Parts: sequence; structure tokens; C-alpha cells
Amino acid sequence: MQYDTIVIGAGIAGMLAAIGRAKAGERVLVIAKGHAATHWTTGCIDLLDVGAGDPLAGIAALIAAQPDHPYALTGIHAIESGLARLQEICEDGGYPLVGSPQQNLLLPTAAGALRPTCLVPVTMAAGDARQLARKGSGEPPLLVAGFRELRDFFPPMIAANLQIQGFNAEGVYLTLPPLAHAADFSTTGFARLFEQVAFRTDVGRSLRKLVVEGGYQRIALPAVLGIHQAPQIVAELQSICGALIFEIPTPPPSVAGIRIYHLLEHAFREAGGRIQLGAYVQRGEAHGNHLEAVFSEAAAREQRHRASRFILATGGIVGGGLRAIDAHHLIETALRLPLRTPASRADWFFPDFLAQPGHPIFRSGVAVDAQLRPLDAKNQVVYTNVVVVGASIAGCDHIREGAYEGVAVATGWVAGGM
Amino acid sequence: MQTISTDVLVIGGGATGSGVLRDLAMRGMRAILVEKGDLTHGTTGRYHGLLHSGGRYVTKDPQSANECARENAILRRIMPHCIEDTSGFFVITPWDDPDYGDLFMANCRKTGVPVGELPLAEMHRRERVLNPQISRAFEVADAAADSFLAAHTNVLAAREYGAQVFTYHTLIALLRVGDQVVGAVVEDLRTGERKQIDSACVLNATGAWAGKVAALAGVKVTVLPGKGTLVAMNHRMVNTVINRCKMPADGDIIVPVHSVAVIGTTDTFVPDPDFYGIEAEEVQFMLDEGEKLIPGFKQYRALRAWAGVRPLYKDQDVANDRDLSRTYKLLDHAQRDGVEGIISLVGGKWTTYRLMAEDAANLIAQRLGNTQPCRTAEEVMPAPPFERRDTGNHADGPSLHWLGKPLAAIEQTQAYNDLICECELVTRSRLQTAMASGASNLDDLRRMVRVGMGPCQGGWCIYRSSALLYEEHSANADFSIEYANAALLHFLQERWRGLTPVLWGDQLRQARLDELIFAGLLGIHRLRDHARQGGGLVTPE
Repeated sequence: MQYDTIVIGAGIAGMLAAIGRAKAGERVLVIAKGHAATHWTTGCIDLLDVGAGDPLAGIAALIAAQPDHPYALTGIHAIESGLARLQEICEDGGYPLVGSPQQNLLLPTAAGALRPTCLVPVTMAAGDARQLARKGSGEPPLLVAGFRELRDFFPPMIAANLQIQGFNAEGVYLTLPPLAHAADFSTTGFARLFEQVAFRTDVGRSLRKLVVEGGYQRIALPAVLGIHQAPQIVAELQSICGALIFEIPTPPPSVAGIRIYHLLEHAFREAGGRIQLGAYVQRGEAHGNHLEAVFSEAAAREQRHRASRFILATGGIVGGGLRAIDAHHLIETALRLPLRTPASRADWFFPDFLAQPGHPIFRSGVAVDAQLRPLDAKNQVVYTNVVVVGASIAGCDHIREGAYEGVAVATGWVAGGM
Repeated sequence: MQTISTDVLVIGGGATGSGVLRDLAMRGMRAILVEKGDLTHGTTGRYHGLLHSGGRYVTKDPQSANECARENAILRRIMPHCIEDTSGFFVITPWDDPDYGDLFMANCRKTGVPVGELPLAEMHRRERVLNPQISRAFEVADAAADSFLAAHTNVLAAREYGAQVFTYHTLIALLRVGDQVVGAVVEDLRTGERKQIDSACVLNATGAWAGKVAALAGVKVTVLPGKGTLVAMNHRMVNTVINRCKMPADGDIIVPVHSVAVIGTTDTFVPDPDFYGIEAEEVQFMLDEGEKLIPGFKQYRALRAWAGVRPLYKDQDVANDRDLSRTYKLLDHAQRDGVEGIISLVGGKWTTYRLMAEDAANLIAQRLGNTQPCRTAEEVMPAPPFERRDTGNHADGPSLHWLGKPLAAIEQTQAYNDLICECELVTRSRLQTAMASGASNLDDLRRMVRVGMGPCQGGWCIYRSSALLYEEHSANADFSIEYANAALLHFLQERWRGLTPVLWGDQLRQARLDELIFAGLLGIHRLRDHARQGGGLVTPE
């Protein structure tokens, strides 16, 4: 089958681009090796780490200072438009994203640190640090509640770290309802449990007891409150226990991140798109600077996929779009596009793991022009019908700059609207 | 300042120091051991974990070979829980001199190293991944040893006999009155408090650091620190120790250790045992050498690289570092330098630690007028509490360290949800036992129960472990979360040092995922201002 557009990669950038194209009436196929980094991330939309400041203002300054930064290529308008589209998709899926691109929020992490982010699911909004009880304010403490069986959420640690940062917080483990015996206690296992009315009612009653005894007005829970109906589950728990509830994202698999993927997938299918997971694109076939087809590894054979346009959304090193084949060479895995990388391995890493602004190797990627087309070392367009989006693009440490979702949204919107 | 009095002060908590401590205590001498880090913090905890058959030394160092062969049999008997009887092969690859085989056999016989030629079909039946071009194979009594567990075991046994151990105590000064060393001042790195330890005799068992320690007593000891780099691979691709049958060189041994295989080693002179780096080229070289033994070796994932600094004692001028004797030297500074009350024990290797300890304890006993004989070769030592776990019968199944055993135990008790470290199958209760045994940071826990040693290098379990460390201590109202934060940051940084030389392919991807989790999702770096050392934990630079 001949597609108008084939998108390689099923993360936020690729899916947003795919939705844009499909809504414009194109025949669109998304092929991906598997699930994307959505399943590992917070489910919040980070634009830029400017603390509790104005990320758009920070981006304007960044664009002026770094003309090769992906944000400089897309411009502010693409960021705002992309965010609006993503908000619309989530709103339609009954899972609103709240917040403003002009004001970062600080939300507690599963370690009890405060993390700046921009748009957040409605289920996390009550975690905004400005609303949390401070020590000496006389307000009742925040109650951080979890389950001992969930190995990726530790209320005592979270509460203690919030305390040391000046907040009033307490941590508690809830007793698991008896009906949950012999379950899979991963984050996704808990999410499935919370989708059972009996389970969440029981948890709600345990919380009610604590609220009555301790006078708590706000409770933090791990972000495992269902995959498909989280806002309703939060509302239900709130009405049972009588306190505000918010979720804190957990380490992977991140249920909050999975929700974003489901919403994007749903919107894409609604727009008539097709998704094929389990297809690992490892080469392309070109005629001059026109890419004719890509080939994916499938069950013991290669599959040829033809399209007029290709959108490369395979991610960076963590997503698998970039790979170091040995100690010195990084490649782009799908099409072997030229990469911009540090000159030598000696420049790949800093001695300090958490060094600011992040290790130079992770700024590697494909150099692109203003239309996001891949460029070679001489700044010539490699393929005129290929667009690169998301973390595959050079010039940005998406994780350490706090721009992972923002760059995905902005580039995905550009690629979807062209 | 607190003052403690003892007969013997042992400096250094490696294999040698902990071995001497046990020997002294068993003979009824009062003994104290001080170590600036955790037990085996120095070279002992950074070697490949090989209990030598002696085969490696039969040609170049026959005395060492013979010592290894005798001690090998003793250690298997006195601390069986520290040793996995893997057996060992010496194999001749196309890159090795085919004539060395006969010489090797002859020299094994001369030096008392048990050896037998193995039919190639039998070798390939037992280790299918070995290079089909191997032309001869010999079997010897090599084994895999857990050096950390062994040091703990010796220390536990020594404590039973009344010895005292101060880990995370750094040596500030050796006290000298005239020509006599009379003790030392040490500082507790956890509290900053100092202790004076008066002793009739000081034993310097600090390996590559022996020169630095001796200098504090005004005595010159020249130790050549030889850096040996090792790489852990993510598969136990062989269950037997594999040696190249040739004169000892770099990257010619593969040791199956617990759930991984370790390839080593290099030998590079470093000016200072405290400052050295590991280059990606060294790792690459070893992977290339591994390829000669196991085709496809380079395709396995390298998990981590580290280096130990060998304590090679220089008593003569020799051209090549590797030609220095692997056998050890007991330096009686009274005779050698006219300084009483201090003895240095340098050189040697892990396999012969007990023999070295016996010699040192003999000399000390003689000086102190103690006439008790050495009994360390007879008495079997019990395992420390954190190692006592239900892994079935030792004789049942491939080995004690075979992961199938803890897995079977976990399956039997349905303890999946209790797994804190999935890579190494470490359960919550085992971790808590180790914490209660006096772990001072997460790196100590790693050595104790292998939490964070698997493919993800702590990516999933270290956040959990630091939270549990906090919970373990939080009953104490003075215990601040800042101490647990410091422990977490310390672990991540230590791990990064070992990871950077092997970061490419999947391991680079893993490192980036870990950065996503720790910096992106958890925001650990935002807690840097809320991290400090204390609460009985120590997080050295």
C-alpha cells in the first residue's frame, strides 16, 4: 500500500505529526519498534527547566543564544500551537492537561524533590508546590500515601525530603485491601487494581479513616490511579475520603506516561491512521535525495514500506533512534543519516554523572533545517521528503534541559502541519 | 581523644589484613584492624575473583605456583561458602605458542599444581562457546572466589576471638618514640572523631598503599602500584575459569563470578594508587582478547570496568613490571631499618593471603612472646549473616552462585513483589539484613548482596535501596533524609566512574535511561543541597 506519510516512531513527536497529517486527509502509517519513551516519562509536558519561572520567556532567550536549538528552528508559535493541539487531544480523551506555557509548576517527584514542568494532567495539579502546606503555616500536613507492595514509591522518603525543603508532610503506607492478594504489584498492576470499583472504594475508606484521624486536607498517591479513567478515579477517591488527591509520577513503567500514549493512539486511529508496532526500521531506499521506501525487520523477513513523505521520530539514544555502535561511533539507526556528535570520545562525558548541563554525547543528533529536513556536514538537505522530529534532532539535551516533551510537541506540530 | 590499648594494630582491611587479624586473634593476641574504607575497599575488592590453581605461575614464578596450589586446597576447606568450584581450563588458541603446552604440563608437575590434559571434545562439551580453533586444553583446580565475602568471613571469625575492627577509619599518624613505633592516631570518617591506638606492634597490610603508610613511620618501602583493569560482562558465558595457556599477559583470563563473567586484566604502572583512570581503549583491548577465547565475546554487553592496584614489591631492579615476583615479602623494619614495632607485609596475591598472614603472625608472635601455633588452616569459618540465605543444598545443582538457586527460592515463596534488585534477585529482607549488618553506604550494600551489580547497574534498585536505607534508620529521630540522599548521590557517582569506560551500545542507552529516571523523573540532582554525610553513613569522595 502506498501511504502519503509514514511516521517512524510512536512517541509524542511522531504521534502528533501523524495525527496532524491524518486530520489533513492523508493516508498515514505509524511504524515503530515498540512503545516509545512515553512509557518511561512523567506524563507531564516539560517545556524548559527555568525553575518556577516562565518557560516561554526562557525559550525566547534560548532561541537568541542557540540558533541551532530545535526550539529556534520551530519558533515559539509552533510550541504554542503544538501544546494547544495536545491539550485538545487530551481534553477530548477526558484527561485534561492544565497549566500555562508562561508559568512552570513545581511538582513533587517520587524522591520528594520539586520538579519544574509546564502542563500537567489534571490528576497531578493539586501537587503544585505553591499550594502545599509549609512548615509553621498552621495548615494540616500533606499526607503522602502508598503501598509497601509497590516497590517504586516510598512515602517516608518523599515526605522527609519535602519536610527538609520547608513543607509540612507525612508519609504513610496503606494496608492493601484483601481482594488484591496474589496480584502483580507493578505500577501497571496497581493501575489495573484501581480500575476495580471494590479496590478503590476500599483504598478510599482507608484514606477516609486517616483524614478523620489526622485532619489531612491533601493527599499524594503514586500515579497508578487507573490507566483509562484517572480523573474519575481521583474524583471518586476525593469524595470518599474528603480530601484533595493528586498523583506523583513513578519510575517506569510510568502509568501517567502510558496514558498520554493511549490518548495519542486513540486520536490517531479516530483520524483514520494505522499503527504497526514491532517493526524495526533499519534501512531506507533512496533515489537521489528522495527517499522511496523504508524497510523494517519483521518475522524473519524484511518488509518494504513506501510513502511520499517520511517522518523520522525514532528518538535519541534512550529511544533507540541513535546508537553508539562502538566506543567511538554513533549512528542514526533507521536511515543512517549524518549526525552531529562531539569530535572525539574524550568529549562524550563529564566526570560528574549529574553535571550541568548534561553530557555532550547526549546533545548528538541529526542536524535539520527550518523545515526539519535532515542536513549533511555541508548543510545540504539529505532527503527532501524526510522530516526529523523529537529527540533525534541535534543541539539539545532533551532530558537535562527539561525540554523532552516540549521539543517533541513543537517539532511534531511542525511536521504534522506542513 | 579516646585511647585504646592493644597488642597488635593491623592497618588495612583487605584480604591480608583481615587474614592476619584472624590469625592473631586465634593465637590469643589482642588485635585491632583499621581500614579507611569498607572491608576490601582497596585492591581486594577490585580483583577478578579468581582462586588460582597456580597454573598461571608455573613457568615464571614456580614458588608462587606452589604456594597457590597448597593454599587453594586449604581455602576450599576453611571457607567453602566463599568459593565456587568452577574448575579451570588453560587453552592454547591459534595466537599462542603450541609448544608451551608440554612445558606447561611439565612445570605444573614440578611445582605441585594438579593438572590433566582435557580431550578437546570434552572441553567443548563442557564449554560450548569456546573457540573451535583451540588446539589443546588442560584442566586445573581454578575456582571463583568472592573476595568481599571472604574478608567479611575472616573478620567475623576474628571477632569471635575478640578482635576489633574499625572500618571507615583513616590513619592520621603513626606514633613513634625514638626508634619504636608505639601506635597510631586514626580518625572515624563518619564522625570526625579521633582515636589513639597504643600497640606493641603495628602491621602494615595496606598493599599498594604500603609505601605511604610506612612513610608515616619514617620508613621507606617501595611498592610499584600496577593497575589491573577488569571488565564485567552481562553474561556468565562460561561456567569454568578460562585461561590462555601461555606466559601471563593482558586480558587472558575469564572468570565466571556470580551472575557475570569478568575478563582481566591489564598491568600498567601508575604513580599513585589513589589516582588513575580507565580508558575505553583498555576495555576494547580486553574485549579483543576475549574474542580469541570466545568468538562473539565483543557482542556481549560490558557492564562495568574497574581497576585494582596490585601491590608489587620492588626488591630489585627489573626491566618489566610483570616480572616482579608475585610472591610476597615480610619486611621486618627492626632488622631492615632499625625501627622497632612495625612490620610491613607486601606483595602477594589473594589466593595466598592466609599463608602470608601466617608468616606475619609468626613473626609478631615471636616478638610478643606468644607461643601459640597457627590454626588458621584447620578451623572452618561460618558465613556472615547477610550471606545466610535459603539457596538450597550446596551440593545440589551447578553451584552456589548459580542464579537459578535464589530464583527457585523466590518462586517457591512467591516473593516476586519483594525483589528490590531484579538483576541479582536481591529481596527486601536480604537487603534489610545487610543494612542491619552495618552497611555504611549503598556501595557497601552492593558489595554485600550485589544490589546494583547487574545489567542496569542500579538503575531500578538504587532508588528503592536508598528509600529503604532511610526507612531502616528513620526510627532514630536524629537520622536525616539528607544522609540517605548523600548515599544515593554517592552511589550514582561511583557507578558512573565504572560505567564511562564501557558506555556504548545498550549500556550507553541504559545510562541515558538512568539519567532520565534519576535526573528527569526523580530530580535527584535537585536534592544536592539537601545531602550530607552523617547518621552513621559515610560517603567518601
